[in-house]
Amino acid sequence: MQAAPVSALGTLADPPARMVDGAAMDYLLIEAVNALRVSSAVASARAKKIERDMVEAGLVPPPPTTAKQQNPRDSTSSTSGKISGPADEDEGVRSRLEAIGMHIGGNFVERLCRDRPLFSDSLDVIKFVCKDLWVSCWDKQVDNLRTNHRGVYVLQDNAFKPITRISSWEGRQEALKRAKLYVALPAGIIRGALSRIGFQGTVVPEITTLPQCTFQIKLPKNT
Amino acid sequence: MSPPLRPNAVAFISPQNHPILIRTFEKGDELKYHYVAHTSLDVIEERTNGPTKSNDCYLGLLYAMDDIAAYGYITPLKMKIVLALPLTDSVVRDAEVIMTFRALHLAYYHASSNPFIRLHDTPTGVGSAKWKRFRQKVDEISRAASGGSVPS
Repeated sequence: MQAAPVSALGTLADPPARMVDGAAMDYLLIEAVNALRVSSAVASARAKKIERDMVEAGLVPPPPTTAKQQNPRDSTSSTSGKISGPADEDEGVRSRLEAIGMHIGGNFVERLCRDRPLFSDSLDVIKFVCKDLWVSCWDKQVDNLRTNHRGVYVLQDNAFKPITRISSWEGRQEALKRAKLYVALPAGIIRGALSRIGFQGTVVPEITTLPQCTFQIKLPKNT
Repeated sequence: MSPPLRPNAVAFISPQNHPILIRTFEKGDELKYHYVAHTSLDVIEERTNGPTKSNDCYLGLLYAMDDIAAYGYITPLKMKIVLALPLTDSVVRDAEVIMTFRALHLAYYHASSNPFIRLHDTPTGVGSAKWKRFRQKVDEISRAASGGSVPS
């Protein structure tokens, strides 16, 4: 009689693991970026149209100030600060992807932390990101980690999974430009994970040559 | 053979020390367990930041008061779970308490990864009246811990 309740509790504490196909995340990211690009193009066109209508109706002064061009849906992200320049249309997609990534990262880290002891310091947290988070999201560990011991960490991955298969018939420069969108979601995942652990840092992805990607993480000073 | 645990109450407390959910399993005494959860926070703070800090998530017996014993658990993300057990003479085995805590943590994880919860109000949003599943799950764990059968 004693064995039954313990095992009932046991299955609640450690339910059988559910598996997901490893390629599912790749497919999802590919489709998500495309779908969001279209969706955000529509949203920004709508915002521009409303603005034009307002100008024509004389409700607002005509724009020498282009500050109003902000996409209304961007407000969920903190990166919507700079919106001018040629990367204008990409910015909306990027901030959306990052917001989604933050949600994923925040919740996922809750699961990953279940079987580990408490974090001792910020380096411990970064190591956790490099090892556990990286392995479960992108199948490998970070290749190189550098830090200045003052809160800046540079994580380098020599073959970052989401961008390993990107190429373009228009040449290397164009492929690099495209790849930038595909690292926005991973950057969000890292940022979301860090913020749930308790560090409100910034994460800046950077791609120099194609399968290689570096993430610069800046944590607040006092930690 | 130790008798099964019979939890009186469970409290989930967010990393910012907001109450997420305080669930009592007996009638009428809810205020008392709010008090228990509050008092536990000080002890948890002491255990995690004090000179004798360890890296273990399970904090063990926090304190005993009148007829209840409070046990604590803190996740690496600083979410705290307090379990109030009746104070009896029988042995309480740590392994069982830890297993209960792990089940409770998993229940919280499942509730909080609901995509319809907004990111910024996650901790307190989970316990609100809207999330019935979380409550049911907690009740189920309590039943399982006290030796009842789990309806499947």
